[in-house]
Amino acid sequence: MTDTVTPPVPDTARVPTIQRRWARRQSLGALWDTWGITAVLVVLLAGSPLVSPDFFTVANAQSVLRESAYLGIVAAAMTLLIMSGAFDLSVGGQLALVSVTTLMGYAAGGTALAIVVAVATGIACGVVNGTLVTALRVPPFVATLGMLFVFRGIAYVLTQDGPKTLPYSEIGSPFVKIGGLDIAGLPLPFLIMVGCYAAVWVLLRRTATGRRIVAYGSSPEAARFCGISGNRIRMTVFVLIGLSVGIAALTYISRVWTADGSAQDGFELRVIAAVVLGGTSLKGGKGTLIGTFSAVLLVGVLNDLLVSGGVDASYQRVVLGCVLITALAIDGLRTRFAAPGSFARLFRRPPKAVPAR
Amino acid sequence: MTAPLRRSRKSPGGHGRVGAISANSRAATRAGRLGRMVEAAPLAVPLVLVALALTMATDRFLSADNLTNVLVAAGIVAIPGLAMTLCIAMGEFDLSVGSTVALTGAVTCTWIAGGQPAGVAMLVGLLVGAGVGLVNGLVITKLGVTPFIATLATLVIVRGLALAYTGGRDVIVSSSALKYLAAGRILGVPVPLVLAIVAAALAWWVVNRTPFGRRVCAIGSNREAARMSGLAVDRIRITVYVIVGLAAAVWGLLISSQLQKGSGQLGLGFELDAITVVVIGGTALLGGRASVVGTLLGAVLIETIRNGLNLLNTPPAYQRISVGLLLVTALAVQSVRARARRESRDD
Repeated sequence: MTDTVTPPVPDTARVPTIQRRWARRQSLGALWDTWGITAVLVVLLAGSPLVSPDFFTVANAQSVLRESAYLGIVAAAMTLLIMSGAFDLSVGGQLALVSVTTLMGYAAGGTALAIVVAVATGIACGVVNGTLVTALRVPPFVATLGMLFVFRGIAYVLTQDGPKTLPYSEIGSPFVKIGGLDIAGLPLPFLIMVGCYAAVWVLLRRTATGRRIVAYGSSPEAARFCGISGNRIRMTVFVLIGLSVGIAALTYISRVWTADGSAQDGFELRVIAAVVLGGTSLKGGKGTLIGTFSAVLLVGVLNDLLVSGGVDASYQRVVLGCVLITALAIDGLRTRFAAPGSFARLFRRPPKAVPAR
Repeated sequence: MTAPLRRSRKSPGGHGRVGAISANSRAATRAGRLGRMVEAAPLAVPLVLVALALTMATDRFLSADNLTNVLVAAGIVAIPGLAMTLCIAMGEFDLSVGSTVALTGAVTCTWIAGGQPAGVAMLVGLLVGAGVGLVNGLVITKLGVTPFIATLATLVIVRGLALAYTGGRDVIVSSSALKYLAAGRILGVPVPLVLAIVAAALAWWVVNRTPFGRRVCAIGSNREAARMSGLAVDRIRITVYVIVGLAAAVWGLLISSQLQKGSGQLGLGFELDAITVVVIGGTALLGGRASVVGTLLGAVLIETIRNGLNLLNTPPAYQRISVGLLLVTALAVQSVRARARRESRDD
């Protein structure tokens, strides 16, 4: 019933957010929220020649951008999903499944069919997740955790006689170009990623659906009273995730050429880590696309620097994990000390707590 | 002071029906009692069904050896599952257990391979697990990082440390003391099962009979209220993470004892196994309630299904699919029932 009602957008929301924000002086905290991780990225880029002299060669920069693309594409949609207050643990399984079906599609009918299959499989995965969450009311965490097993399982079943691979004879095929082509020096996967961010930005900032997603994320109950259909929002974001995985899988598999059920183990956690690193709150309702974008590149650049710095692969994980904790700790401490005088309170004796029985 | 917090959460359903027409009332209360039993152990029904089906489908399922295998496997998952039950009852997760398994195994096996007595090596392994838990707890409480992200980060870090510690190689050991942990028997009962039974009894006692258990649930149902009523919320949370770390370390010792090796690659994805067991067992993700019996049944159910699929010679891929579907179905049933209950109360 609520589905048919268009929600009345509150008047204050009609004033473009950007204008309102710049009208007042921005607090350092608000600036950090939006641009903090970008600033870190810039600093890292500025310092990178010290660590690795050939960092700024064209080939290296291209490879970083190309490598980051598939993570970035899914992270764009994941930003939306997390802003709506849910998250999707099944994207790793989806990526494995879509990669496998895409290669099967390519074997059956060439590039065109492969693209159709990739997008269709991705969307199908999204619809399954969305249905579980909306119609069956399974909490997103568990629904997508369960489907992670299921999608990966299906990918394993499909590759029982060995991983699906692209034969070497296909090296001239247009399908391989998706991952390998450079346009004006920029890798096509990166351009696709930029296109995805542009599309998601438009959806988020220029359409009613975007506003509803944010509204639903910041308070599902309030959004319901405004006539926003929570189910429709959740279905939309889960389908968008599926679509993004479809696109990401195309840029991934046309580069890697082989996939089975174990492809990209732990991908879901990397995506969520990138989104959170970018400043999107897991509680929903708050987040920025530019943050996610920069965080994805930051992770890519950091990985590249560590590799070229000769750091052992196992320590790379340690460094990345520490970066994640540091970023979140800054955020956590900032919110803790956001109230005026809260910092000074640290040095005063705390009032005695009532002892628990 | 905190005791009523938990009591009042008991579902008020069932009692309202007593005043119904007398012919129906006895049936209704019986249904209510049955409902409450199903509530207490929602997995008993599917477990019995699966066991019956497997008994009919295979001739090996009911053999003593096979049942022991199932129980041992269930016991091994149940140990971290029980600790995770506490954590989830507190409304939080620990995603780092899989990596802790790897690090514990790696450290213990390296120490044994380096000529240390196995007992010392195992103790160091347990300390490492507790240390990971302590770090988790401190980062979460003192730095204010969301548990999901904090433990996600330690998952990555600890896995990296485990790989670095072993240099990416397998550390193969042959130690009778380590082997005893997985293969030994006490009075004919396999050691892992004994450990699991002790852990289960301990967990049940902690959750149902101690102030600590009530406080954990109080934090899970409303952390702010728990803080206001004077609970040392941070200290309790840290304690729970240390318990989870310890349990993960025990898990790691059992796994490396089974495989007789330590490696940075052990325990990949185990965090999800531990959470699955708890969630299937009916402990709500929102926190506030812990179901020890549910977690135990969840572990037995999952391992029974795995065992059955093995006996039926299905490829491992189908095991993943079935565990995933089971998880989703269990939660769908739970939420549909919760909704029905809420609606009947609203009427």
